[in-house]
Amino acid sequence: MTGWLVAAAVVLVALLATGLFVSRGPVADRLVGLELGGVLSTLALVLLAEGFNRDIYFDLAVVLAAVTFTSSLVFVRFLERWL
Amino acid sequence: MTGQQVAIDVLLGLAVAVALGATAGVILARDNLDRLHFLTPVSVVSTVLVAAAVVAREALDARGLKALMVAAAFLGVGPVLNQATARALRVRERGDWRLGDEERERR
Repeated sequence: MTGWLVAAAVVLVALLATGLFVSRGPVADRLVGLELGGVLSTLALVLLAEGFNRDIYFDLAVVLAAVTFTSSLVFVRFLERWL
Repeated sequence: MTGQQVAIDVLLGLAVAVALGATAGVILARDNLDRLHFLTPVSVVSTVLVAAAVVAREALDARGLKALMVAAAFLGVGPVLNQATARALRVRERGDWRLGDEERERR
């Protein structure tokens, strides 16, 4: 197992902990957890792409970075106005 | 083990340590404004360190450039997202993001 995959595994453990955090508690707490989860999942994809030597995972990471920002802003807007 | 491999391992170790610390901070912090402070290291430091590790291994080929794009995206939008989230949390809590009368008197 390379250093890349070890790092990806650790980041995935952190992502799992974030998932548990997001699954309970008030909605505002969950929003912050969701933002952290977006960054961690993008990081995990980059590390897995390098670890498994797959170019396509890098494309996924780039798209996920853009989508994470947009979706988080939508959730922020909903939280501010309606939820 | 070459110097390049050592540099990559150090960069990855630092990135993972920052990510773990930020995750623990988000989970253990007292309130959401405190939690937002822990989002910044993972979106600014960890992504840059991982991109640096990819560039150290691959140089500036397609993979290195994509890793740099991811880091640049989080560097650019991370603070914007943090500010928007803090604003939303304050509006949700107080109805307005501006200072209230009692807060202004306390200053």
